[in-house]
Amino acid sequence: MSGKTVSAIADVEFGAQLPSFTPDTSIAATRRFGRHVGWNTPRFTDHEGARKEGLPGAIVPGVMSQGFLGAMIHRWAPDAEIVAIDTVFRAPVLVDRPHTITGVVTDVDEDAGTVEIDITVANEAGETRVFGTATARLSKD
Amino acid sequence: MILDLHTHSIKSDDGRAKVANYCQWIRARGVPIDGFVLTEHRQFDFASDYGELSRKHDLVILKGAEVETEYGHVLVFGVTEALYGEFDFASTRLPLERVVEHCDAHGAVAVPCHPGRPRVGMSAHLAEHGVPKGVRIVEIHNGGSRDGEDERAVAMAEELGYLGVGGSDSHIVSHIGRCATEFPAPVGSEGALVEALRAEEFRAIPKGESTAG
Repeated sequence: MSGKTVSAIADVEFGAQLPSFTPDTSIAATRRFGRHVGWNTPRFTDHEGARKEGLPGAIVPGVMSQGFLGAMIHRWAPDAEIVAIDTVFRAPVLVDRPHTITGVVTDVDEDAGTVEIDITVANEAGETRVFGTATARLSKD
Repeated sequence: MILDLHTHSIKSDDGRAKVANYCQWIRARGVPIDGFVLTEHRQFDFASDYGELSRKHDLVILKGAEVETEYGHVLVFGVTEALYGEFDFASTRLPLERVVEHCDAHGAVAVPCHPGRPRVGMSAHLAEHGVPKGVRIVEIHNGGSRDGEDERAVAMAEELGYLGVGGSDSHIVSHIGRCATEFPAPVGSEGALVEALRAEEFRAIPKGESTAG
């Protein structure tokens, strides 16, 4: 983990950038994920099988992308309670292609102890594949 | 003056941005725009008054709409109550030529947006429906474009002789200003925006050129 972590709402400034990271979107990772959650459908675990379904290749499951986004928040604020992650899936996150997970604070409610974070998954061309917002609660002390 | 002509707030079903946070973001990050137009999906927001936010942040905040036609999505600028009564903004299958006619008759402007996008962009429907009558301007730079969509939009505009505008199509705060449109004079109202578009003196600003996001 790199970058400064935060623990209290007072530490957070509007516009603060969360440390971005490149998640493991390999076929091995989606197969492992599929085994654990019981989703062994080819669209997530096999490029050729996904193409037969009309996809450009195997895709990362949506909840796995949400997991990456949640992981980013906890790397930044390990003690934060993630109240909500609300995502809009604009385009598939392709397996075996590099993606970047980013987040930036776009609202701070010191009274409630919550922050709103813009969250995105972008591909190597910088195209947003998934976007949304997350709400996280931090300590008021 | 530079305006982002295509933005969504939490009033849109897939919008996640509060207008106050857009303003805060623009000023905190120095996003190089002077204002923006809220183009909520399949509706016109008559109720909201952003005058106080506009004054507080010294930003132009205008309202438009994004409607859906057989050619894909279309921005409408200069919406009035009379225009709102002419067709069902909530419909997902409006006839584009009729939308353009109504806009012309009511002092508004219709601008097909992200025309290079599959399914919801105009270029994907030209083979089936032909070139629509009355379109003068299309959105050639959209902040949410991917997979060569803007390139297709620019090519289509060049081929059909359309003028081009730009907008971020932002749905979250940090995406505002990714694309925009530059006008030679101040634009402070929906009516002035329509006049400026009809004067056909503007320039679309692509994502790479903007320093935003």
